[in-house]
Amino acid sequence: MILQLAWRNIWRNPLRSLVIIVSVAAGLFAALAVLALYDGMLISRLRTVIDTETGHIQVHDPGFKDDMEPGFVIRDRERWADLLDKDPAVKYWAPRVVSSGMLATPSGSAGVQVNGVISGKEMPVSGLDRKLATGMAAGGWRMADSGSRRVDSGRQAADGESWMADSSLGLNDGRSILIGRKLATKLKLTLGSKVVLTMTDKDANMVSSAMRIRGIYESANTPLDEVNVYVRGTDLAEVLGVPGSIHELAIILKSDDSVSAVQHRYSSIFPGDKVESWKELSPETSLMIDTVDIYSYIIVIIILIALSFGIVNTMLMSVLERRKEIGMMSALGIGKKRLLMMVLTETVFLSLVGVPVALISGWFAVSYYHKNGLDLSGMGEDLMKSFGYESLIYPTYPADKIPAIVLLVFISALLASIFPSLKSVNIKPAEALQK
Amino acid sequence: MNQTVIDAHNISKVYNPKTIPVYAVNNVHLHLVKGEFTALVGPSGSGKTTLLNLIGGLDRPDSGNIFINGTDITSLSSSQLVKFRLKNIGFVFQSYNLIPVLTARENAEFIMLLQGMTKSERDARIEQLFRQVGLEGLDKRRPSGLSGGQQQRVAVARALATKPQFILADEPTANLDSKSASNLLDVMYKLNQEENMTFIFSTHDQRVIERAKRVITLVDGRIVSDTAEVNVTEAHKADG
Ligand SMILES: Nc1ncnc2c1ncn2[C@@H]1O[C@H](COP(=O)(O)OP(=O)(O)O)[C@@H](O)[C@H]1O
Ligand SMILES: [Mg+2]
Repeated sequence: MILQLAWRNIWRNPLRSLVIIVSVAAGLFAALAVLALYDGMLISRLRTVIDTETGHIQVHDPGFKDDMEPGFVIRDRERWADLLDKDPAVKYWAPRVVSSGMLATPSGSAGVQVNGVISGKEMPVSGLDRKLATGMAAGGWRMADSGSRRVDSGRQAADGESWMADSSLGLNDGRSILIGRKLATKLKLTLGSKVVLTMTDKDANMVSSAMRIRGIYESANTPLDEVNVYVRGTDLAEVLGVPGSIHELAIILKSDDSVSAVQHRYSSIFPGDKVESWKELSPETSLMIDTVDIYSYIIVIIILIALSFGIVNTMLMSVLERRKEIGMMSALGIGKKRLLMMVLTETVFLSLVGVPVALISGWFAVSYYHKNGLDLSGMGEDLMKSFGYESLIYPTYPADKIPAIVLLVFISALLASIFPSLKSVNIKPAEALQK
Repeated sequence: MNQTVIDAHNISKVYNPKTIPVYAVNNVHLHLVKGEFTALVGPSGSGKTTLLNLIGGLDRPDSGNIFINGTDITSLSSSQLVKFRLKNIGFVFQSYNLIPVLTARENAEFIMLLQGMTKSERDARIEQLFRQVGLEGLDKRRPSGLSGGQQQRVAVARALATKPQFILADEPTANLDSKSASNLLDVMYKLNQEENMTFIFSTHDQRVIERAKRVITLVDGRIVSDTAEVNVTEAHKADG
């Protein structure tokens, strides 16, 4: 009976109730949208980190990371290659020669991280070829590439070193270098420009080589684009005085979930090497993933608090308008408990009616954008990229958070009902019924 | 010997005791037995509502005791008082009697539901009551679809439904035209006769006063006349 009474009471002032229901629905929809975007950005960021920046796992000599001294090479290179080729958990892997260096041009210079890569191995691991394809504003590079590729294939065969001399990235020779768009803009470099790359070799000698820019890439993470340059791995190893050696192994696994298991396994097989997962390599991403839930709930709670004020206000109005009626009911002997129940139920009904509306409309909206992508470049593509985000976001419906959100709505409805229901039980029948 | 329903001793209620005290009810004695049909009359502000609120347990006296069917309601806690009202006292107010979102039938059932009566008990009682108060066929209407007189009759049906000790009605006809007022009085009188239900109602409508078996007149919070006492005195005279 109390339920029925409460339900009908909500519809006494349909417009007022509708305003509350719509605002709960809108608020929750907004919360869902933010969470979906958040999740989408996070997943996209995670993919960017794993697929283009760190891979799932990287291996270094423990001494290497401090100063990138060329001497700290990975010792068991062959055994590692053998293991990685055979391990069914591994999808792709790439060896890298890495050094810090200085890129100088007539108009300026910049500190860079020089990555010596093997094109065929590198492409699937970090997607460098994809970054190049999207990075070139004009089709210039592609044309140049297809032109040079034909020439290359001849050379490649002649060299008989196909695994090393693969030139799909345009790294035709030891003088080729790929740089990021951000660095190119900063140093006013274009395709074909000449630069001088200076590094320190194994014996602490300065070594310089004149390089020609063969490609300009652009990733989702501009700060990295400014730092990373790519050259041919074999040549870099020679220049650094460690021919045939590598400093880094980047590994992509078949599943995101096997990272820590594989990491532990490798650490025990090669206790002398440092085996790190993306979580250690990109701690800010890991931190973001750990804290995103807290932020999500904070956002939801802020929205709910705002809504609660509206609900408290509406219910208070509704109780005060019914002063005489409530006074009459308590004169008849409805009792405090039932009266509390009535106002509480009214508040909860009012708050919860909007919830399914929001969940369903949110689901449709998110599903649409999940499929088609939500282009945030209007908000500032550069801004997004400077934080390492793609500007095309695929929002993900936060299904795992729905029960908690519904519970939070329910709790805030209960909290919102406290004040109005206390008001209602404090109505004294003798006073309320006076004309 | 008739069973005592209301026995109020020396009850007083003072408003604004610290500023300008208003003795709304001043040292009143009241004794009502089962089956009485009593009108409480007096000019506006004479304390009728205050007195009815006191004996109905809606308000507490500043002094004195009120026994309802032997229970001293001035000694009950407020939650006990709520339960006591629900079980023992029927109320009909001047207005705002019905819950607007409930139908006539649901309104009449309200107290039965609060008391936890079963559906079959309720159905039987409602059918009988709606016949008695002349509202057959109107049970599904909301209060807004009923006339003022019909609404008051629903309120009477509701008050009567659980067979309380007595029904208290504060100016039940004040908002009604004379025909509806007389109709309501007919219904109340009939129920008084048929169910031996005790009624005490306040009014200042002369035609309503004429229908009462006993008339108690209040002025400035004091009982200035009570036809029951007159009758007693006259009976004494006749004896002597
Ligand atoms: N809540 C109150 N506060 C102060 N004075 C009151 C209050 N209720 C009633 N009174 C005063 O008590 C007296 C009796 O009022 P009431 O019982 O309503 O009379 P009636 O019902 O006969 O018109 C009046 O003088 C009225 O002004
Ligand atoms: Mg009055």
